Amino acid sequence: MEITRILPDECQSLIISLTSPADACRSAIVSHAFRAVAYTDAVWEKFLPSDYRSILSGSSSSSLLSLGKKDVYFHLCFHPILIQNGTMSFQLKKESGKKCYMLGARALSIIWGDTPSYWTWKSLPESRFSEFAELKLVWWLEVKGMIDIRILSSNTNYAAYLVFKLRNRRTIGFRHRAVGLHINVGGITSREVRRVSLDPSQNEIQHVRQREDGWMEVEMGEFFNECGDDGTVQLSLREVDTSYFKQGLNIEGIELRPKDTDS
Amino acid sequence: MSEVDMAVIKPEMMKSYIWLQTADGSIQQVEQEVAMFCPMICHEVIQKGMGSSKNYAISLPQRVNPAMLSLILDYCRFHQVPGRSNKERKSFDEKFIRMDTKRLCELTSAADSLQLKPLVDLTSRALARIIEGKSPEEIREIFHLPDDLTEEEKLEPLKNTTDDPRIRLLNRLYAKKRKELKERQKLKNIEVEEERVDDRSVDDLLSFINGDNGDSKGIKNSKSKKKNRRRKDQQKNTSANEAIKNHNKEPNGLNQVCRSAEVGQKVRAGVGATSNLHDVGDDIFDNKNELDDVDIDDEIDPALKEKIDREVEDFARRLNSDWPERMQEILSFGHERKPVHFSLNGNGSLRRYANSEQR
Repeated sequence: MEITRILPDECQSLIISLTSPADACRSAIVSHAFRAVAYTDAVWEKFLPSDYRSILSGSSSSSLLSLGKKDVYFHLCFHPILIQNGTMSFQLKKESGKKCYMLGARALSIIWGDTPSYWTWKSLPESRFSEFAELKLVWWLEVKGMIDIRILSSNTNYAAYLVFKLRNRRTIGFRHRAVGLHINVGGITSREVRRVSLDPSQNEIQHVRQREDGWMEVEMGEFFNECGDDGTVQLSLREVDTSYFKQGLNIEGIELRPKDTDS
Repeated sequence: MSEVDMAVIKPEMMKSYIWLQTADGSIQQVEQEVAMFCPMICHEVIQKGMGSSKNYAISLPQRVNPAMLSLILDYCRFHQVPGRSNKERKSFDEKFIRMDTKRLCELTSAADSLQLKPLVDLTSRALARIIEGKSPEEIREIFHLPDDLTEEEKLEPLKNTTDDPRIRLLNRLYAKKRKELKERQKLKNIEVEEERVDDRSVDDLLSFINGDNGDSKGIKNSKSKKKNRRRKDQQKNTSANEAIKNHNKEPNGLNQVCRSAEVGQKVRAGVGATSNLHDVGDDIFDNKNELDDVDIDDEIDPALKEKIDREVEDFARRLNSDWPERMQEILSFGHERKPVHFSLNGNGSLRRYANSEQR
């Protein structure tokens, strides 16, 4: 008995759509007939977030809507698209199809960010956004971001990451010094501020990691989003000890993406 | 029950039955409320008035064999009772789907043909759980599927997923670099054109050089010397070559100038300098008066070019940081061979200089 002979195509699609993107890809290399089912729109539409259409239409990549659903899925996994007038980026985590967002530096609220002698805004290809923030010199370092919980995938454990770079030669105030990272979910301030050094020495625990896009990241905190309650996630980077100044930090943004609970 | 017996029983107690016929010809009667749980049967009864007697038995789709019908009716019988709790229903479902894979598939198919969606969902989910986490080979075994894909086809899903963000970043940087080089190439080409018409005397050119010791134009000279040797064979610009050969025969003064103005400057700094050098005089010296990178544009492979560019940037940065010292060197001409960096788009360096002052 071949499943493809017993079951009609719609049933097969339904079954595969109840598995996972990875399983669907594995199914695609089982047999010819099974592959045809595994690649149908019916399957991949289920893996895409339910609001993907509205997200795409409001983005700079709305032409993606004309692609087959599997192609839309994979495109979104590997190419962050710009939304909200190019101030935020959106992509999917390929294993699960969960949503990832990055607030670009322009979407953040950077204290003194509009004063050219303290912060400048650069445009370079290494940033996915049209601009990123470059710190020239401040004593009061404070960067805040905010995201609506409802746009995140439900039943998902999320973590927030500060995406940045230190301009080696010009870095002052970060070596061996910690900054305060904090997230606050839905107004419940039960969390502590994490004190992490963005420029740790070799023997310190390495919280800062290299990303695939050339930037560095450090985790600011994590939380479990159950089912899109109302409210916002508040994110902040803060180091306001004015006895020393800080120099040489480039900020690309803050990313929120699903995190496995055991990692 | 015989028809006579049924007539004796009070009407209220009489159950209605629906007659169903499976593809193999066998006919059976089923309690009405149970059978009506299936949308397809419901439709047949209400819209077409079928199923009320043996002669008008509803013909079920071919996918529903007697065994499957029996299972489906068991399901319907349980679930059509309104008073059950969710917990009870779930518990029943879990026990219900415990059967081998083949039967699950047949059941799904039968339920689907009767449009019994809740059962289709239940069995589909069970089959999905079977597929989850299995390797393609295992899936093939369970569902008796043929291994009929070519090796190439098997690799196809993976092709979609090798779009490495690093490669894209590199491509973008490289594209930007290439654009810069192309622009410089354009300028170079313009200069090549102009060279052909140059017939200034050697003396003119010499004085031109000497008069420009301190600035970037002098820089070009040293480079040209090297390049000339390389370009001897190239017939790109014969007049330029001749002029250059003449210069090579010049006394030491000129050569010294060349050497002392030797610059390690490369890509970025050169841009501004290049654009100033439409003076014919300079063209003589340097039909390709830009920098190594552009000259051997076509011969270098991308990886090496990228490497060179990075070395250049590093170098430029190092020089930028030593700006005050370098400045001294440049101004006090006559020191030899130390690489000198001129950043004509001196934004970075000048600003830094200013900052360090402000500190």
